[in-house]
Amino acid sequence: MIIDGIAAGRVLRPQSVEELADLTRSGSDSLVPVGAGTNLEFGNPLQSADCAVDLGGLDRITAYNPADLTVHVEAGVKLGHLLKELEARNQTLPLDPWSGPDATIGGLAATNAQGPFRAVGTLRDWIIGMRVVHADGRISKTGGRVVKNVTGYDLAKLYTGSLGSLAIVVEVSLKVRARYQKTATAVARFDRLDDALAIVNALRQGAFEPVACEVTGAPPAVWVRFGDDAQAVDWQIRNLPPAEWRVSEGDSEPAVWEQLRSHYHGMGPIVARVVAAPSAIGEILDFAAPAAWIVHAANGIALVAVSSPEDVRRLRGKFPVIVEKAPREMRRELPAFGVAGVELRIMKDLKRAFDPAGRLNRGRHIDGE
Amino acid sequence: MRSEIIDALRRVVGPEAVAADASALLVYECDALPLFKRRPDAVVFPANAAQVSEVVKIANRYNVPFLPRGAGTGLSGGALAVEGGIIIEMQRMNRVLSVDTVNRFAVVQPGIANLAVSQAVAKYGLYYAPDPSSQMACSIGGNVAENSGGPHCLKYGMTTNHILAIEVVLSDGEIVRLGNTAGEPVGLDVVGAIVGSEGTFAIVTEITLRLLPKPQAVKTLLAAYHSVESCSQTVSDIIAAGIVPAALEFVDNQTIQAVEASVYRAGYPQDARAALLIEIDGLREGMEESVARIVDICNRNQAYEVRVAGSDAERARLWLGRKGAFGAMGRISPDMITMDTVIPRTRLPEVLTAIDRLSQEYGLAVANVFHAGDGNLHPIILFDSRRPDEVEKIHKMGEAIVKISVDAGGALSGEHGIGVEKKEFMDLIFSEDDLEIMGRVKSVFNPDGRLNPAKIFPTRRSCTEIGRATTTDTAEIGRRVASALGGETNA
Repeated sequence: MIIDGIAAGRVLRPQSVEELADLTRSGSDSLVPVGAGTNLEFGNPLQSADCAVDLGGLDRITAYNPADLTVHVEAGVKLGHLLKELEARNQTLPLDPWSGPDATIGGLAATNAQGPFRAVGTLRDWIIGMRVVHADGRISKTGGRVVKNVTGYDLAKLYTGSLGSLAIVVEVSLKVRARYQKTATAVARFDRLDDALAIVNALRQGAFEPVACEVTGAPPAVWVRFGDDAQAVDWQIRNLPPAEWRVSEGDSEPAVWEQLRSHYHGMGPIVARVVAAPSAIGEILDFAAPAAWIVHAANGIALVAVSSPEDVRRLRGKFPVIVEKAPREMRRELPAFGVAGVELRIMKDLKRAFDPAGRLNRGRHIDGE
Repeated sequence: MRSEIIDALRRVVGPEAVAADASALLVYECDALPLFKRRPDAVVFPANAAQVSEVVKIANRYNVPFLPRGAGTGLSGGALAVEGGIIIEMQRMNRVLSVDTVNRFAVVQPGIANLAVSQAVAKYGLYYAPDPSSQMACSIGGNVAENSGGPHCLKYGMTTNHILAIEVVLSDGEIVRLGNTAGEPVGLDVVGAIVGSEGTFAIVTEITLRLLPKPQAVKTLLAAYHSVESCSQTVSDIIAAGIVPAALEFVDNQTIQAVEASVYRAGYPQDARAALLIEIDGLREGMEESVARIVDICNRNQAYEVRVAGSDAERARLWLGRKGAFGAMGRISPDMITMDTVIPRTRLPEVLTAIDRLSQEYGLAVANVFHAGDGNLHPIILFDSRRPDEVEKIHKMGEAIVKISVDAGGALSGEHGIGVEKKEFMDLIFSEDDLEIMGRVKSVFNPDGRLNPAKIFPTRRSCTEIGRATTTDTAEIGRRVASALGGETNA
């Protein structure tokens, strides 16, 4: 198995949490947890991979309590599989990461992966508890199995998005929600970016409650999705601000979003996630002049395709920027997060507190680790 | 406390902003959890983050414990100066610093009251969603520390889902800004770790919080029942029908009696064994149909009265009863303890029955008013603090309720926090390893343990804490705390 350009010394595929804990406890080599491998271009360059831990064997939904609105899944459960189980009981999780239905819940949590549903939150917001295996083989948990809980520190916030560098996530407890009675998507293309942004502005100022609202390009387009009771969705579609909307619903809807996912995968060589505010979208796109972009317009987060590390450094002069995707050689000179000062010190201290020997995903997460 | 420490504090915040004499300190000897008391050695009222930082540095220099305090409405003893020391009271830092109506966020100081934020932005059609029952008084800083909830968390999430960025003073006095206006973690989610750390990681001095547009339409219903079971079943059926209510609140007869006898009188039907307050919000379109579906579910579960509020005034009145329920208890009992546990929602009927049994066994009345939608119970034990036997009993009964909730697969706290109140119960939920890992994270932020000591972790884990108890008996812990009250401070 090759991970981020490094051939793993060996590959383990534990079939249970206890087996993984035993394997971790008995060794001292560097460990790289791997889910479906759909997001391996994210993070700082991996420094060492003595042992890859394939979590695909931990693929059980350990408990699903629809009446309690909770589901508990092992890290290797694929998102598509989970959503199918939830939808069979008329429930769902509004998650549509770019990595698609084959991505695992553990991998999505480790990368805090997101997609157009960013408008209504990220995986972070749905996680109510986690079990993890630590670098020394101990198993610990945080949170719990109920939808509301402030018992003890919320370490799931730290594990989520930590790229498996603090501990190996083995089980995730999630709250779920009722499936939207109806969803519908409207897409409109524009000649000028300003026209697209004006539409987004009108959407934000109106009584709309989109579950996704993306501005993409080039050429500029607005993608908006509603999810609610059928009447509420229909009303929003009927009252969209004037543009040449193409509306899809029912069976034709997934294919539309599949197009956007292909657009994302065509972006490169560097995809920078620029973190700003909805009113700054025009400024970001002006400043970055990207070849291609996808903006989570409701959140003011822009994914822009740029060509060189210098472009990212320039952006970082103005905005926080996460390097979401870049070839390994570029990532060598381009920290993934660009965090500095006291904040960086806290992150390094946290890494040391969890993994004093630096066994887990060495080099991957904290800048300059 | 040595006078040179007091003098140093006065030089930082001004002589009028330090309280150090016994009578002035009396009010700070507990928060809204009166079971545990300890007078601090000094209370300071800083005006800005720089002053907080200087106070923290003084505390460190003299090896004195210190902790932040908001409005003192916390119910788990989070603002209790367990080991004495300096309370940093945030009430002077109570301003809205800016509002960005386009991007929908506000920058506020920690001492501002929760409700004051929503009031300040109401003219822009915006509001701040988390709404603890104490929202008229409780501070945003305290909300951040405790990750507070409220009725509308059912749909909108807890405080942690609404905090975008914070400025904090670390335990060594350093000031740092964390997070961004998009609420997108860059690197580790340090903001997410600090929210809900009960003031043991850092002192929050500025908060950027998410504002939401007011929903186009809101409908509030009251359904009254002759049985707790049919009331609980209604909750289950609403969830099963795929309806996402904004709030789903349960009030029992005891609560209704108290509310109706108080200034919070809401017109709740007084013969109801239990009632549900149900709220939905969203777009106007389809709202009437949703209301009809809910009414139908209530009727199918033998609700003997279903009332739909016809105006904003009627809505407000229904909520007045719910939010005033805790205050109203004074009408029927001299003292009360509000508990806070969580259970999987489907276990409601059996857990309520068990609590009822305990109430009879101990001879103490219990009122139940809680967030039914997410199984977040608030049994209110009514007692008379002038009767020592009752005080002893509430400790035991409280412990029994916690154990019932844990046995049902629940959690120790849904929104009040662990503080001192529940720290001895942490072993019921967490293993040695779980707690050790949490301790490591605490050490990163608070290596010397001077910031808000003796909270969250079971006492025997730390030699700096009172008593080194090995018991989970709260009465015993209470006695130890009480006996420590007369002891010397370590300053």
